[in-house]
Amino acid sequence: MTVTGQASDQLAPVPRHQWPRCLLALDSREIRAAAEQFEETFRIEDVQLPQSGLALMKIRDGALGERYFPGEIPLATARVRIILEDGTQAEGAAQVMDDRASLARAIAVLDAVLANQLSGHGRIFPLLQKGRKILADQATERKALLETTRVNFSPLGESEEDDDA
Amino acid sequence: MGYVAIKGGGKAIAGAHTAVESLRTAEGDAGASLPLASIEHQLRLLTSRVLSEGGLYHPRLAALAIKQMQGDTLEASFALRAYRSTRPRLMETPVQSTTDMRLIRRISSAFKDIPGGQMLGPTMDYALRLLRLDLVDESPESFRKVSRQFIRDIADSDLPDSFPKVVNALREEGLLPPQPDRPDIPFDITREPLVFPVPRSAALATLARAETGSLLALAYSNVRGYGNVHPTIAELRVGYVPVMLPHPLTGEPTEAGEVLMTECEVVATQESDETDAPPVFSLGYGACFGHNEVKAIAMAILDRALQKGMQHGPESPSEDPEFVLLHVDGVDSMGFANHYKMPHYVTFQSEVDRLRTTQEKDAAHTPAQGVES
Repeated sequence: MTVTGQASDQLAPVPRHQWPRCLLALDSREIRAAAEQFEETFRIEDVQLPQSGLALMKIRDGALGERYFPGEIPLATARVRIILEDGTQAEGAAQVMDDRASLARAIAVLDAVLANQLSGHGRIFPLLQKGRKILADQATERKALLETTRVNFSPLGESEEDDDA
Repeated sequence: MGYVAIKGGGKAIAGAHTAVESLRTAEGDAGASLPLASIEHQLRLLTSRVLSEGGLYHPRLAALAIKQMQGDTLEASFALRAYRSTRPRLMETPVQSTTDMRLIRRISSAFKDIPGGQMLGPTMDYALRLLRLDLVDESPESFRKVSRQFIRDIADSDLPDSFPKVVNALREEGLLPPQPDRPDIPFDITREPLVFPVPRSAALATLARAETGSLLALAYSNVRGYGNVHPTIAELRVGYVPVMLPHPLTGEPTEAGEVLMTECEVVATQESDETDAPPVFSLGYGACFGHNEVKAIAMAILDRALQKGMQHGPESPSEDPEFVLLHVDGVDSMGFANHYKMPHYVTFQSEVDRLRTTQEKDAAHTPAQGVES
């Protein structure tokens, strides 16, 4: 998904690889509240205990193509299993740039519900769309920083107002 | 002379903490505690500097460190590093692509017509360095109006999220050597000491966390004459790099967040033709967390200088990996300077004793003046 702010984007479903980003754009209380609703409905177990810590970020330098670490980033991870009344199991997980393991767990719960289309998953769609709208607005603002400062070079003396281009 | 254990100072140290806090809150009833969001946004370049030198991309905690340390960048970076040392490392990310950076600024001083165009973005490069006295009494209304007006005036844009890199265009023209994919395991400076010679990945990581002023001083020494890098900025870009991590269940690259970074590639003088290969330009590279343009440029110049030093031996301090990499870390060098404030009573007393002994011996061997033999 590219966050362009186009109306058509707002109607398209949000792909799974963008769920965490869209959810992180929201107030964390909204995410927690949505996850808590499912906690009340389903039996949810931690496959791995939620953790928060750091990840060492690796990039590739633009000169010689060597890899190096410019520093670390916060990271929270969680992996959950939802067990339905008939014994069916559905897993979800999340890795997000955040300090809060509990928030990662809430996103993992929503990931499990959405990915497996469990009962009530439709309640998460508006959250994703809202997050996507926030990100689209953010992208628009960033592009405005570029668009309003675009340099239009022209040879000196070619136009009457040389410096206005 | 033996060591003498002494005690004392506990109350003074506790009092010092209180004294520091009393100055932070000295505005009294007329003041208010600085919100972290205000530091993060209104002092965004200071925040960038601290999170870059602290080696941890956490703008909110960088803002907290600035508040706590009352604007001291070295102490704030120190606090951020101390925090990171308490956190478990959960993973090493896959290689992140700066080509996918969501740009807010992009310029080249090498070519005016770069693919996608040049966009100045938020820069003070062309601003007059005159104090804006209207900010002295800026009202909340006028403060909010600026942002509201900017958002209101935004027109639809067909700009892409990211742009191709200028150096790739140069490579296509054969002016730069091709960029091989080097799968080497990078050096982790947070876990391993720098024992020279070190690989370039150790140098890049050290420079990325280095203190801005130190980098600038050494890079400046090189271009001023104590070295021979004549840099031209192929591209300087500022933007948000999406951090893509594999989904724990599907393995599909999934965006976990984004990191504001500054990246710079400088083209330096043509490499001497030591082989039969056609001559090409050489590159220096700088990239660090946050919006830190001077740092990224200085880093790129030093990278180029160090490449030369590593290949052919250093001819100037800025080409010497040991000289550069062991002296540019702000937390390290601040710690060394600050340790001189700690009690040195015993060592200094021994120096006093030595001096007195030397003076006595000197006096014994020197004829007294004014006494005729």
